[in-house]
Amino acid sequence: MSALLTDPAVKAPMGELRLDIGIRSGRSLAIGQYHRGALRVLRPHYLDESGQVCYVTVNQGGAYLGGDLFTMDITVAEGARLLLTTQSATKIYRTPKAFAEQRLTVSLGPDSTLEYVPDQLIAYRGAAYRQGTLINMDESSSLIMSEVITPGWSPDGQPFKYEQLRLRNEIRYGGRLLAIDNVLLTPPSAGTADISGQPVADITGLGFMEGFSHLGSLLVVDPRVDAALVTELRILLGDHEQDALTGISQLNGPGFVVRALSGSTSGLNIMMSALTSLLRERWFGQAPLNLRKH
Amino acid sequence: MGTQPQKHAPPCRELPASPSYLLPLLQLCDSALPTGAFSHSFGLEAYLARGVVHDETTFAAWLRQFIGQQLVYSDGLAIRLTIEAMERTGLAEVLNLDRRVTAQALPLQMRGAGIKIGLRMLEIGGELFPTPDLDAYRAHIQAGRCAGHTAIALALTAHGLRIPLAQMLTAYFFSTATTLTQNAVRAIPLGQRAGQRVLRLIHDDVTAAVATVMTLDEEDLGAVAPGLEIAQMRHEYQLARMFMS
Repeated sequence: MSALLTDPAVKAPMGELRLDIGIRSGRSLAIGQYHRGALRVLRPHYLDESGQVCYVTVNQGGAYLGGDLFTMDITVAEGARLLLTTQSATKIYRTPKAFAEQRLTVSLGPDSTLEYVPDQLIAYRGAAYRQGTLINMDESSSLIMSEVITPGWSPDGQPFKYEQLRLRNEIRYGGRLLAIDNVLLTPPSAGTADISGQPVADITGLGFMEGFSHLGSLLVVDPRVDAALVTELRILLGDHEQDALTGISQLNGPGFVVRALSGSTSGLNIMMSALTSLLRERWFGQAPLNLRKH
Repeated sequence: MGTQPQKHAPPCRELPASPSYLLPLLQLCDSALPTGAFSHSFGLEAYLARGVVHDETTFAAWLRQFIGQQLVYSDGLAIRLTIEAMERTGLAEVLNLDRRVTAQALPLQMRGAGIKIGLRMLEIGGELFPTPDLDAYRAHIQAGRCAGHTAIALALTAHGLRIPLAQMLTAYFFSTATTLTQNAVRAIPLGQRAGQRVLRLIHDDVTAAVATVMTLDEEDLGAVAPGLEIAQMRHEYQLARMFMS
């Protein structure tokens, strides 16, 4: 298991990105920007008239390999609004010597918003990946972030041949720890066996993926979240339960989390979009998100 | 009753004595300890409602995942980190840990269960085996500086009694498994003998779970398997419920 234990932090990051979003001429825009190595952003654009700026991150290498470290440092100043997404899926290939890693830190100022909608994460055979996200929010700021994790193709046709995925989000709200959202998937050791060594459950089964292949998460923290909204979203979620298993729960403060298991990325994207469309419309008067990427 | 001087100590002194913590440990980890844990299923009831858990075999499979995931990454690691914090710096670090233990429980009912059972555990521990640390922890909770949690209340009690960590974890895991098995016997229902067979079956899982807790790092806290979490969330809004979680 040495591949999991080697810390890539000892060497310089493969890619670095810093974005400081503020307001210029009534619209949000990067007022400070730095990138180095394999990570950069496309020119900012605006999907509607709301002033929310959209930045698309690009991994020039096309994939994360063993030992790669990518760091992103995002600040959104008072009143500014950022939509952050990726150009394409994050692919993690075989990482024989050390895990690949992404570290994201976000600071959200008063009345700022971040909508973080990366494409799906695909972990291929032999991949070990660690993703750590630390978000510091002002109590008046708003966060919507989603994530879809899929097992990549492997030569024998079997999914879940990756070594390990660790995705950890820590959210501080008004200086107080609000939520630790921790997902750890280790297919080689996820299951249990009976007394004769026959597998009883594995990563695809009971307790983990419950027979599904794709895992989706949605994390929302906003002062307008209350129990009534969570109930409303839960009923909406119920309309997307064909070929899926979902759960929603209120966090220890004004926020909620959705976990969803499904058979496809598109199924999860449609489901998450149904939820975020309601929030975008109600909170910001914006139309459903259409990134027109593909 | 002879008057001759004895060459050897009386035989009873040569017998190995039970460690002084054994009886406190048995009492604290008795599934009849009135912490209210018996009214929680920690997501099991959602599996019953979906028909996924319906007999001895399927319950055993669920219980083994619950031990290997929920108990390891949440309560088990929290117990270990509490005891390590007490040995390092004392209660200040435990308050910080309390906030992390609350924050890592994403399903609302799991957060509630940890706090509710934790407060009962703290009362019982403080009454039966009082220490200044338990009193101080309770004062911090009453002042709203932290929420309280089963794992931390139990770990502080164990620390006061000098119960070794591995023994504490083993007994606590088995005790939780026993409570859940009693709940399954009522709710599925299963025969009492079937319940005992499941408890015998999971001995190795408990041992393996304790070993795993020792290998984790702090960042692992709360890395509970997604299927278990979804069931714990769904339990909130399922129609018929016998249990509080």
